[in-house]
Amino acid sequence: MSTTESTVSVRAALRDRSATDVEQWWAVTSSQLAHYVRTHRFLGLLAFVGGVSVLTIAFQLYAGAPTVRIAQLNSGSEYLSNFLDYTGLWVILAAAFFGGDALSVDFSTGSGYFMLVLPVRRSILLAGRYTAASLVTLAIIGEYYLLGAAGEVYFFGLTSLPWVNLLLSLGLAVLFGLAALSVAFCLSAAFRTPAMGVLATVLVLYVGFTTLQGVVELAGVEPWFSLTYAGGAMAAVLDTDFLHYQSIPLGEDQYYTLWSASVLEGVAIMLAYVIVFVPLATYLYQRKESTG
Amino acid sequence: MGSFEAVGVTKRFGTGPPALQDLTIRYEGSGAIGYLGPNGAGKTTTLKLLVGLLRPTRGRVSLNGADPVTDRKRALWDVGALIETPEPYPTLTVFEALETVGRARGLGTNDLDDEVDRCDDLFELPPFGQRVGTLSKGQRQRVALASALLGDPSVLLLDEPTSGLDPAERVRVRDALLRLKKDHLIFVSSHLMLEVTEVCDRLVVVNRGRVLLEDRVENVAAHFRSRRVDVEFGGPVTPESRVRLAALSASVEVVNDRRWRVSFDGSDARRADILAACQAVGPVLHFASASLQLEDAYLEVVEGGTGA
Repeated sequence: MSTTESTVSVRAALRDRSATDVEQWWAVTSSQLAHYVRTHRFLGLLAFVGGVSVLTIAFQLYAGAPTVRIAQLNSGSEYLSNFLDYTGLWVILAAAFFGGDALSVDFSTGSGYFMLVLPVRRSILLAGRYTAASLVTLAIIGEYYLLGAAGEVYFFGLTSLPWVNLLLSLGLAVLFGLAALSVAFCLSAAFRTPAMGVLATVLVLYVGFTTLQGVVELAGVEPWFSLTYAGGAMAAVLDTDFLHYQSIPLGEDQYYTLWSASVLEGVAIMLAYVIVFVPLATYLYQRKESTG
Repeated sequence: MGSFEAVGVTKRFGTGPPALQDLTIRYEGSGAIGYLGPNGAGKTTTLKLLVGLLRPTRGRVSLNGADPVTDRKRALWDVGALIETPEPYPTLTVFEALETVGRARGLGTNDLDDEVDRCDDLFELPPFGQRVGTLSKGQRQRVALASALLGDPSVLLLDEPTSGLDPAERVRVRDALLRLKKDHLIFVSSHLMLEVTEVCDRLVVVNRGRVLLEDRVENVAAHFRSRRVDVEFGGPVTPESRVRLAALSASVEVVNDRRWRVSFDGSDARRADILAACQAVGPVLHFASASLQLEDAYLEVVEGGTGA
């Protein structure tokens, strides 16, 4: 077929049928995923999380299996609960790296002039990028959980691996990742500079929530509004002696109440973040103009 | 066939003067329209409004009968656009970047391969496996042009399409546009007169956010022809003789001792007066409208700031 004939057939084919939203979503997702997995951010974070995990296990090996078992109350579940204590931090970093500039990049670089002129709704563009960011965040979480499980199996044996609670914790970590990405995408849609979105995500999710949580806990109030508080459920589900709150005496008639989110509470808070921030990010992204 | 229109469109950024003021243009069918103006005239703003990257402060924009902001999928479905400097993710290969565009446009695997090959024939694309981040500016521009043409949309909105290209690449793009305009509607912005007139049938001149002129390319120069006349005398005349024309509100450029170029308001009556005044200076061998170059016409419109 000649070039002209081929062109005519392509035009005819395109007139007959346009790409569905699902096809376009997948085109955006796969392209974004191919981009993410080649970035230094992804490879660096993957190496960092892997390195910290391996180093932790190496120190435990140096201390010896009996010492580790005693320190972890002879419980594989307790070992995992402590090992996976940093999940929240890794998820927040992943959300900042992959969500913090996911949308602002369209208004500060030439990327927008490549993607935003395509016949694709912005909500579909956002959905594709959100999916890709979720998948790379899942890869980081998956690596961390895999290494944690490997450590548990080595020190406590396969039979003591708490499968159900581990999977429940993983599920919560994925949901926490989705909630953190929702906030990051929203900040990315609000800011024009990619670096601002990344920085704001870390500041809001890590510094902001942690500080605020500490302050309201001092007042004896449960920090139900905090995403990082909800994220505590990821490790709490593996904790052998989980308590929703503990009152620590400070002096005469004075107590400091330490709150821990239950699984259901954690799920509700995280879902609320997804439900609020994804539509808000979509609205801001659709409203934004390429004024640069 | 594709169409686009902007009706009474004004675009204002902040409190400054409008970047675009009361723009009304409408084209459909096929052909090439040049959108010409100096840097900062409002060309890119117009194109951004047409593809929905900006929302008009006032007025209405329509692309293939649909609003590019509220119904962008339908509006942009049969449109290829090249605005500013598009940059696919630098980590993607040339093929992956084009594949993203092709898939978003609904191309199947076979059609996508055919289309990428067609664009390769048109623009001589860089190696398909090369990462976008390693491409030169010219190579990147060719990939951007290919992305606009992928799927062969019937409307092409091109903002300075030859920016960053070397002379040979410019010729390649010009030839491609000359072929495409037979059955595509092409709106091409540029600040380079020659680039536009080589390809386009019609010309829109814009400056400071206002359309100053809209006409067929050949009419633009012709319109200005009547404002100047070349005069050749039978013998040498002194430059001082020019005072005879002073009362006619004409400015006289002395080309040499026998030739003048006279500028005036273009009216037939004044033209006759100038001929009479010149004949009073000396025998006139030649008296004819000066053939104004298109470049001069453009400069006159832009610098004068008024429509023809």
